[in-house]
Amino acid sequence: MGNSMSASFAPECTELKKTYDSCFNEWYSEKFLKGKSVENECTKEWYAYIGCVNENLKKKSIQSALDDARKEAPFESGGELVNANANANANKK
Amino acid sequence: MKLFENKYDFDYPWEQVTAANWQKYPNEVATHVVGVDVLRRELKDNGNVLVSERLLTVQQKVPRWIMMVLGGSNISYVREVSTVNLKEKSLKLRSCNLNYVNLLRVYEMVDYIPHPEDPYNKTLFSQQAQITAGGKFGKLVNTLEDWSIQRFCDNAAKGKAGFDSVLRSLWEEHWDNNSLVIKVNETVDDLGLQMSKRVTEMNAAAEAVIKESLRKFTILTDYQDLFTEAFDDAKNPH
Repeated sequence: MGNSMSASFAPECTELKKTYDSCFNEWYSEKFLKGKSVENECTKEWYAYIGCVNENLKKKSIQSALDDARKEAPFESGGELVNANANANANKK
Repeated sequence: MKLFENKYDFDYPWEQVTAANWQKYPNEVATHVVGVDVLRRELKDNGNVLVSERLLTVQQKVPRWIMMVLGGSNISYVREVSTVNLKEKSLKLRSCNLNYVNLLRVYEMVDYIPHPEDPYNKTLFSQQAQITAGGKFGKLVNTLEDWSIQRFCDNAAKGKAGFDSVLRSLWEEHWDNNSLVIKVNETVDDLGLQMSKRVTEMNAAAEAVIKESLRKFTILTDYQDLFTEAFDDAKNPH
């Protein structure tokens, strides 16, 4: 079966990712789901991991595709398409 | 543009399904997802809403003719924004491919909510995808959209089977006694013989899926004349 935690897209970030994921998964089940959390607690692990990710995003040249996708479906709107056409179609049953 | 829709029940409580969502990959069935990264994550609304942006790394078996057209690697990326809302009890996933968007764009919407008929024990999963092929390749477009719908159906079935197996192992070992759900690894080791039996069953299921997609691959190769023609058209526009 091997390791059951997923790898990072950049191999050098995988260990940092696993450390962060462990912390997050525990926080999610033990605090977030129980409504006991007002802040995301794994900040130390997060910054170590996201630093590695951002560095490698540029290297892998997926940054521009990512920027386009972010414009089309912003994080702030929960990833919903900003294009009204697409939304109209999505609501069709 | 084509639409794809799907609904499933999961025999697990909503809370648990959302926790397992973070640990969905890797699993034995959906082997095409080889990496998952979190790019941004914010807690909002006094700790009631969690929004995450993830990058999924996908290694896909792509028909040879697509590789020919795209001339690229079989690694592609998907961006996903998910929202867990504790008050509404909903988990929404919104995903789109990052590669070849001009050629083929798949926007997927997945919602997990407590099942209306059994909200404490079951979760209702609904999935919708808009598949749009770019106009550039003329005659290819319909075939490409159909192929994608097919591929999407295959992967949707694989996704369900894979997620079921993750939910099962999390449930049996950890959720019941309220301990950490993060130790999937150890769970699998502990389950020992029982698990290997299950893996055998999973493999059989995966094999069936592979056989099915091979059959489809064969059907696709029958269209080769069409692809060659369309490819020539694209190279020499009228």
